[in-house]
Amino acid sequence: MLSADRLSVRFGSKTALADVSLDVPAQKIVSVIGRSACGKTTLLRAFNRTNEMIAGARTTGTARFHGTDLYGRTVDPVEVRRRIGMIFQRATPFPKSVFDNIAFGPRAGGFAGDLHELAEEVLTSAGLWADVAGDLDAPALALSAGQQQQLCIARTLAVRPDVLLMDEPTASLDPAATARIESLVHSLKATYTVVIATHDLSQAARLSDMTAFLDAGELVEYSPTATLFTNPRTRQAEEYVTGRTS
Amino acid sequence: MTPPVAERSAYPVSPTIQAAAKPMLPGRRRDFLAGASRLAAATMLAAAAGLAGVLARAVWQANGGSADGTPYAGGAGWETIGPAVAGTLWLALATAALALPIGLGTALYLEEYARPKRRAVRAFQAAVAHLAGVPSVVYGVAGLVVLVHGLSAGRSIFAGGLALAALALPTVVATSAEAIRAVPDDLRTAAYGLGATRWQVVRHQVLPAAAAPIAAGACAAITRTAGEAAPLLVLGATSFATFAPAGPGDPLVSLPTQVFAWAVRPQAEFAAQAAGAAIALLAILLGLNVAGLFLRRRLRKVLP
Repeated sequence: MLSADRLSVRFGSKTALADVSLDVPAQKIVSVIGRSACGKTTLLRAFNRTNEMIAGARTTGTARFHGTDLYGRTVDPVEVRRRIGMIFQRATPFPKSVFDNIAFGPRAGGFAGDLHELAEEVLTSAGLWADVAGDLDAPALALSAGQQQQLCIARTLAVRPDVLLMDEPTASLDPAATARIESLVHSLKATYTVVIATHDLSQAARLSDMTAFLDAGELVEYSPTATLFTNPRTRQAEEYVTGRTS
Repeated sequence: MTPPVAERSAYPVSPTIQAAAKPMLPGRRRDFLAGASRLAAATMLAAAAGLAGVLARAVWQANGGSADGTPYAGGAGWETIGPAVAGTLWLALATAALALPIGLGTALYLEEYARPKRRAVRAFQAAVAHLAGVPSVVYGVAGLVVLVHGLSAGRSIFAGGLALAALALPTVVATSAEAIRAVPDDLRTAAYGLGATRWQVVRHQVLPAAAAPIAAGACAAITRTAGEAAPLLVLGATSFATFAPAGPGDPLVSLPTQVFAWAVRPQAEFAAQAAGAAIALLAILLGLNVAGLFLRRRLRKVLP
C-alpha cells in the first residue's frame, strides 16, 4: 500500500537517500535498520513529506500511497501527513494539557465528533488511559518520558492515519518504557501499517515482519525479518546483523 | 612509555589536595571577577541612590520647595501637567496600537514565512537590526518631513504617535523575532506531522509559546519610546497646552517635551512644574512596566 520507487533525497549537495525502492504491505510492521545517518529518518520523512520543511531538501523518484504519487502536483502535503502519521525519536508533547495534545490534530483537521470520546479511545489504544484518565487537564510535560512518547503516539492515532511512521520511538526510553511501547506497536498492527526505524536490532527482530537494511543512503537488503536475521542474502547485511561490522 | 606521575603533572597541585590529610579549608583562590563584579554592583547601587536623591528633590520642588531651601508658594498642579499626562498616555496607546501588530506581523513573516536564504530577506533583517540603532532624533526629523510637511498631519498627537511607533517598531520586530526563533523546532515538526497547516502551527503552537517574551519586548519598547523627548521636540510639540488632548487630531503635547520646556527656564515656578512633570512621567512608565510584567506572567500561565 505504501511504496517507494527509486526514491532519492538530497540535502544541498549531500545525498541522504539514493534510489530506494521498496513496498510496505498493509497491516504489517516493517523495520528499517542501519547505522546512524544511513538514511532511516530521511526515508520515513520522505513518506509523509516532512523532509521538504528542511531548507535545501530535494526529493526525486516516486513514493506511492494506495497508488497515488505522494509528490504529485495536486497532492496537498497537509493531507499526506494526516493519512501517514509520524512519531519522532524524542517525545515532543506540546506544552499544553494532555487533552489539548490529543485535540490539536483532530481540531486542525476539522474533526466534528466528540473530542473526549476520541481522547479516551486513543489514550486507551496507547495504553495511557489508566494513567491519565483522572486528569486530562494535567500538563503533558509532567508525564514521564515513556508516558510522553505514549501520548505522542496517542495524539498521532487521534488524526486517524492509515500508516504510522515511527522514528526510533524508544531510543531515549528506559527498558520498561521500551517494552510498553513495543507491545503497543505490536497491538497496533491489527489496524495500522507501521514503518519503524530502529537502532535496536533485537527490537527489529522482535517486532517486525519485514526488515529493510540501509547503508549510506542505499537499500542493501529488504527481506522478511526472519530471513534477514538468520540467512541474509547480502554480505553487508550479514555483517551488520551479526555485529561483525567496522 | 608513560612518564612518572610527578613529571606528567604540568599544573600546580592545589594546596587543598596537598594537605588532604588536614581538614579541608574553604578554597581561597584569587578571583579577579569576584572583586570586579562587586565593584560594578556597588557603582550601580550608588547610581541608583543618586537617582533616588534627585527624585526626592523633585518631589520637594514639585510641592513648592525651592532648590536653595526657601519655600515658594506655588507647586506643580494638575492644571499645568494634566494635558501633558493625557498626551503621553495617548502617545503610548498609539505606539502600542501601531507598533505591536506591524512589528509582530513582520517578525512572523521573517521567521515563519519568508525563505531565510533569499538575499532580499537577509537584507531586510539587517535593515531592521540597523533601524533599531538609529538615534531617536532622526525619527523626529523623518516624522517632520514625511508626516508634518508631506502628509500635512500637523503637529498632532497622530503625527507624534506615528513617529514614536516607527521608533519602537524595529525593537518590537527584533524582540518578537527572537522570541519566535526561540520556539523549539521540534514543536513545529510535531505539529506539521499531525497534519496542521502553517497557519494552524503558527496560531496554536508558535504564538502561544512565544507570547510572553513577545509581550515583554513590546512593553519594553513602548515604555522606552513613551519617555522620548527628542523626536517630539523636532516634530514641534507645544509646551503651552491649555487643554488635554481628546483625540489623535489634537495638538501634540507630552510629558518628556514638557519637562524639557520647563527645565530650561530659570524661574522657580517652572522648576517646580518640571519636577512635577518628571515625577508624573516616571509614574506612568513604572505603571506601563508593571502592566507589562503582569501581562507576561498571565500569558505564561494561560496560554501554554
